[in-house]
Amino acid sequence: MCLLAMPTFLLSQNVRGVVIDAGTSEPLIGANVLVKGTSSGTITDIDGNYTVAASAGDTLVFSYTGYQTLERAVTSGMTTLDIQLPLSNFELTELVVIGYGSSAVKDVTGAVSTLSERDFNPGNIVTPENLLSGRVAGVSVSTGGAPGSGSAIRIRGGSSLSASNDPLIVINGLPISNNTIGGGRSILSTINPADIESFTVLKDASATAIYGSRASNGVIIITTKGGGSELNVKFNSQIGYNTLPNKIDIYSADQFRQLIQERRPDLADQLGDANTDWQEEIYRNTTFQNYNLALEGSLFDALPARLSVGLTNQPGIRLTSEFERRSASLNLSPTLLDGDLRISVNANATQERNRFASGQEGNAITWDPTQPVYDPNSPFGGFFEYWQDNGDGVLNASDLVGNAPGNPVAALLQRNDRSTVNRYFGNFKLDYTLPFLPELTASVNLGIDDASSEGRILVDEDSRVAQPNGEFVGSESEYTNDSRNVLFDGYLTYDKDINDRFRFDVTAGYSYQRFESESYTSGELRNDLPDSEPVFSQATDLVLLGLFGRANFSLDDKYLLTLSMRQDATSRFSEENRWGTFPAVAFAWRVREDLFPQSDIISNLKLRLGWGITGQQDIGVADIYLARYNQGLPSSQYAFGNQVIPIGVPQFRNEELKWEETATYNAGLDYGFWGNRLNGTLEFFYKESSDLLAFAAISDGSNFSNSGFQNIGNFTSQGLEFAVNYDIFERRNSKFGWNVNFNATVIRTRIEELALGQDVRFGGIAGGVGNNIQLHRVGFAPGKFFVYKQVYNEDNEPIEGAYVDLNGDNIINDSDRYLYRNNRPEVTLGFLSNFSYGNLDLSFNLRASIGNYNYNNVNSARAQYDLLQNINVLSNLPTAVEESNFNTTATVLLSDYYMENASFLRMDNITVGYTFPGVFNTGAGLRLSAGVQNAFVITNYSGLDPEIFSGIDNTIYPRARVFLLGADVNF
Amino acid sequence: MIHLRLSLLTLLGALFLTGCVGDLDVTPGDPNAFLAEDFYSSAESYRQGLAGVYANLSITGTSGPGSSNISGIDAGTSQYGRGLWNLQVLATDEAIWTWENDPGLAPLQRSTWGAGNVLLRGMYGRGMAQVAFANEYLRQTSDAKLDERGVSGSLREDIAVYRAEARFLRALAYYHMMDLFGKAAFITNADPVGAIQAPQAGRNQLFEYVEGELLDIMDELIAPRQNEYARVDQGAAMMLLAKLYLNADVWVGQDRYADCLDYCQQIIDAGYTLAPEYLNLFKADNNVNNATPEIIFPIVSDGIVTQNYGPTTLMINGQVGSQEANGEDFGVNSGGWGGALRVTRQFSEIFLNGNYGQDDRNTLITEERTIEVENIADQTTGYIITKWSNRTSDGSFGASREIVDTDFPMFRLADVYLMYAEAHLRSGAGSRSQAVGYFNALRQRANNPATITENELNLDLILDERLVELHWESHRRQDLVRYNRFTGNQYNWSWKGNAKGGIAIPEFRQVYPLPNESLAANPNLTQNEGY
Repeated sequence: MCLLAMPTFLLSQNVRGVVIDAGTSEPLIGANVLVKGTSSGTITDIDGNYTVAASAGDTLVFSYTGYQTLERAVTSGMTTLDIQLPLSNFELTELVVIGYGSSAVKDVTGAVSTLSERDFNPGNIVTPENLLSGRVAGVSVSTGGAPGSGSAIRIRGGSSLSASNDPLIVINGLPISNNTIGGGRSILSTINPADIESFTVLKDASATAIYGSRASNGVIIITTKGGGSELNVKFNSQIGYNTLPNKIDIYSADQFRQLIQERRPDLADQLGDANTDWQEEIYRNTTFQNYNLALEGSLFDALPARLSVGLTNQPGIRLTSEFERRSASLNLSPTLLDGDLRISVNANATQERNRFASGQEGNAITWDPTQPVYDPNSPFGGFFEYWQDNGDGVLNASDLVGNAPGNPVAALLQRNDRSTVNRYFGNFKLDYTLPFLPELTASVNLGIDDASSEGRILVDEDSRVAQPNGEFVGSESEYTNDSRNVLFDGYLTYDKDINDRFRFDVTAGYSYQRFESESYTSGELRNDLPDSEPVFSQATDLVLLGLFGRANFSLDDKYLLTLSMRQDATSRFSEENRWGTFPAVAFAWRVREDLFPQSDIISNLKLRLGWGITGQQDIGVADIYLARYNQGLPSSQYAFGNQVIPIGVPQFRNEELKWEETATYNAGLDYGFWGNRLNGTLEFFYKESSDLLAFAAISDGSNFSNSGFQNIGNFTSQGLEFAVNYDIFERRNSKFGWNVNFNATVIRTRIEELALGQDVRFGGIAGGVGNNIQLHRVGFAPGKFFVYKQVYNEDNEPIEGAYVDLNGDNIINDSDRYLYRNNRPEVTLGFLSNFSYGNLDLSFNLRASIGNYNYNNVNSARAQYDLLQNINVLSNLPTAVEESNFNTTATVLLSDYYMENASFLRMDNITVGYTFPGVFNTGAGLRLSAGVQNAFVITNYSGLDPEIFSGIDNTIYPRARVFLLGADVNF
Repeated sequence: MIHLRLSLLTLLGALFLTGCVGDLDVTPGDPNAFLAEDFYSSAESYRQGLAGVYANLSITGTSGPGSSNISGIDAGTSQYGRGLWNLQVLATDEAIWTWENDPGLAPLQRSTWGAGNVLLRGMYGRGMAQVAFANEYLRQTSDAKLDERGVSGSLREDIAVYRAEARFLRALAYYHMMDLFGKAAFITNADPVGAIQAPQAGRNQLFEYVEGELLDIMDELIAPRQNEYARVDQGAAMMLLAKLYLNADVWVGQDRYADCLDYCQQIIDAGYTLAPEYLNLFKADNNVNNATPEIIFPIVSDGIVTQNYGPTTLMINGQVGSQEANGEDFGVNSGGWGGALRVTRQFSEIFLNGNYGQDDRNTLITEERTIEVENIADQTTGYIITKWSNRTSDGSFGASREIVDTDFPMFRLADVYLMYAEAHLRSGAGSRSQAVGYFNALRQRANNPATITENELNLDLILDERLVELHWESHRRQDLVRYNRFTGNQYNWSWKGNAKGGIAIPEFRQVYPLPNESLAANPNLTQNEGY
């Protein structure tokens, strides 16, 4: 005993020093200095000084809340040891919401990205997914131009061909349906972005497998804001001015007159006297308004609560287009029974009001610019239309010039297509930690999402829209849609620390979710024909059941292992095929804590490896395996003699239909340097989707269609994601701060196997009835364009109708089409920069897409000289016709001449803001901001906007350029 | 305590779980959708199921004219009669389609079609779907099934007739497949529903099968002209047999012209009569006017209750001249489809060869038009016709301005008269004077004073007369192939072989290729030679 005690006593020395903040060099008061493995230690004094007794060979542990913990060995003879503590990677201890639970960032083993309010995109954000557009590597968000428009969200490119590629979106534990309700703009348009606290994106299978059958395309978890301990009132307001950034180049009225004289002088008598820019006429500049008021605090000092109300009014730049959203959100999160019972109640109610404006872009491009918009002599509400009194004394469809188009401005102004969507969604969550067994927590989550819409489409009586019998009485119809889903989740979590080295937690639970929807449409109310009778339809219910379990193990806080398993069942498939098993394994190694625990430079280095199997079953229809007969609608009946008989027709069925499965391998490296000033991730993934649900041809005659959903296909996808976040200048040190965030994603996909080697055609285009321009073929990336190879002359001009005879049979037909490029980009990049100087802040964010190609259908179906004559009227052309000199649409429609590189760099937003601290003498903060949304686009694409998700440009609702002013007040 | 609570939780969980697993068995929510067993639970349903099999000739899907249960082709273009029309009429001298930007049509009229052509996919798919629907109806009305459902009495007798009609419709589909593609997958109601890859049947096997079926059902069908309009009767079965035998030489190398003549005689004796006015056969009320007794088997269309973009809608809207804007004459929108259909020079030349100067069947409009189709895209080149109409025999308009009420007469008596004459010349059976009598009856019906004598009757004349009488009724290609004028150099027409004046096309184009997708989905099928 003496021997053991001796060395301590003999070699004990006093070590002293000062502990300061590594960044600011300020002394840290009250920092802990401990001798590791013992209970002896001290704390620093008011100057950051300390003195402690330790022996050579001991390790001193320095720690302070908010700062990283450093360890230093005591060497023989050491008397002074000064320490600079870097700021804690508080991000690492932050909790991240993952499926059915939460985890500290440092313990996460899968490819998980979190975005909280400080990472969100600033600017004119109407729908929530735009908050993370361009912010997360591997996630692409492409939003349409219409107000409240939905977005195509793709995580790692999606994993499917014919089944849905949309990720699963979970709001506070409630997965929502991916089907937009009829009359609504999109699934997320009824969610107020100001209510969102954070997004967690689960990208690889090891994170998503716990969602089993819906997880193959990734998961986005949205968490809404809750109450706090202090009363906080926030008021955000924004007004903006929407403008049209550019138009398609077509001939002006005078240029058109000249063109007709040169090329078709025989038609010159059809020219009018006016000078109309039809594109200007169908657009308008509008004002956008967004207001949000949120109260956060604690009711009766014990019940954290948050109440927020919001109003967004976004009239679209297309004439008559409108979107308005009113929302209210309430969150209560009481804690009862001494903290053992935590309740969270989220209730949201929103109302969306829309007026839909039909797409008149194509019409506006081709309308004769020499005709006026208004005509005082017109019987059609004062709008100019092509008509000719046929002298029978009755004004009806016989008086319209045959095959002539209708006035685009009239089409917009004489039509009133309105809808109102009411949505209630929310959840009630209980977490109960058993008092006699504190490691065990039981959780129950009940959720509901109920949306109902009603709409009415009214067309003026004096419009040129005629009923089937030729009468002009306008048109009227109504519709309602209802859809809802209910969720029950119940699970147990057991969390245990064993001897401070080994931790594990186990979760096991059950989930039940049911989706229902009905719809009603009144049919045409202005005629009595049997085919315009009301139709009531109800979708087949969808029921999803799952059993899930997950275990996390942590050894020394350095080696982490996660195992998860989900057993999922869906009502979409037959009894033999409806259960699927989805396992996942992930391993993480906190390299820094293991190999470089004392490093000042490396603050975080973590290697993650994961594998998992996820499923996909969203093909839209829910009862393909049932032997069904459909009864024909009143317009689809057959007559025997003079008796009209409703018909019954058997429907395509596939009892063998089952899940798609995607196996994902993921390797990731999280890194952080200099106190996480520079941090980021590097990920590599490989996905293989098998049993793809493909809508493909089936042996003719064996079933009741020539095509249907089957599991035949195999598809691989691999990619690289890189993200870096750098605080170039840190705010704490100076008045100047600059943070940049950059991410890049490269994805390659390839179809390995497809439905007995056949091709799947899709991608409908204009310029004929039923043409397709895209193809899925084995051995190539999905969705390549299927076009003819244009032949050019010595001056590099295209020769109309001359294509390379690729199969050498001296005939140019379908067999000479080849696969060219893709609508998917090869590389996508996102960049965000945030400056601040004193109270001034400036931020901008950019997005780039490289390698995506568009098929310019605007030109391919319109830029040909023959189209100057549209049967009985004149028609304008895009000026692009001068480059090709083509005459006939049918000859050139499918040429690769119209394929264009649509790579682009887009400045999504530039915002400048100034914060006035402490206005009104009450400690309130006021921030004023100004900015531009959709500032500019750099691209070689000749069309209106290169960012077209489908790759087929057949006119789009243009994305407005918005000039914004905002005022945020914080009490 | 702990154990009690834990076991209680487990029990609740288990109860909940088992209760909810049952929810996974869903039923169709749509009020228009039925499980097969529920559909056949009423007496009326057997008639409705039969109507469903017939409907595939006319309607493309159950939700209006824009819906289709065939994929890979525009819904309207996938219609049965329209597919037949495109493949039997457009590929010949009878018509030129202006809008070549619609896929598949240009190669058809320019004789450059390949196995990737969507129109072929549509026709093969639609024809085989007809086989599938007929097979399903036969499965659902088998003796075993009817016994199971307790069906007896007069309904059972009616069902026996329905079954015979379904078998006819299946035979009709195989007849079309045999004519157009020369082969098809062979599936009957003995095979299950699913994704089975049926064996291939060539013309020999299909011929034998169709002949066998028709002979077998003959006695079960209702007597000619005694069944409800639009339903199959013995007249239709006899007609199909006559067609089979008329083409037997081309299809299976057998001389069956005598048998053809025999059935033609039976049809003629069955009580069908020629319409007093030719054009009434092609009007909106051709299901009830004085032309109806001539029609042996129609495809029904109606602007309100049987909406489709089938052959009659196509022809009536397409007939409308771009510069004439005469749509109102036919009961459709004045502009129609912008001058979509014209006729070739060779077609016009036949009508203008001197025999048909005064003839109701000559409806050519020639003013301010060139006889040659100089440029397919220019709708003012080439003559147009006015044969079909959506107005009734007393001049009133059809119910709608685009989809027409005019039924498509697939088989009619006039055809039988000409078949008799041709079969007589080719076989010597029957009587020449009768043949000439039938021939002249058609001329007289058309108010054409030029009747012929026995010496003047010859095969070439019959071919021309078939064009004059039956143009645009989906017979031409079959006739040209039988006369060996479709391929080769014997007879060329505007844009045949992708040349303005027309050139020879290779012999392998006498049959159409099987679509690529169909070959891929069923490896038992082999492609026709030359493709």
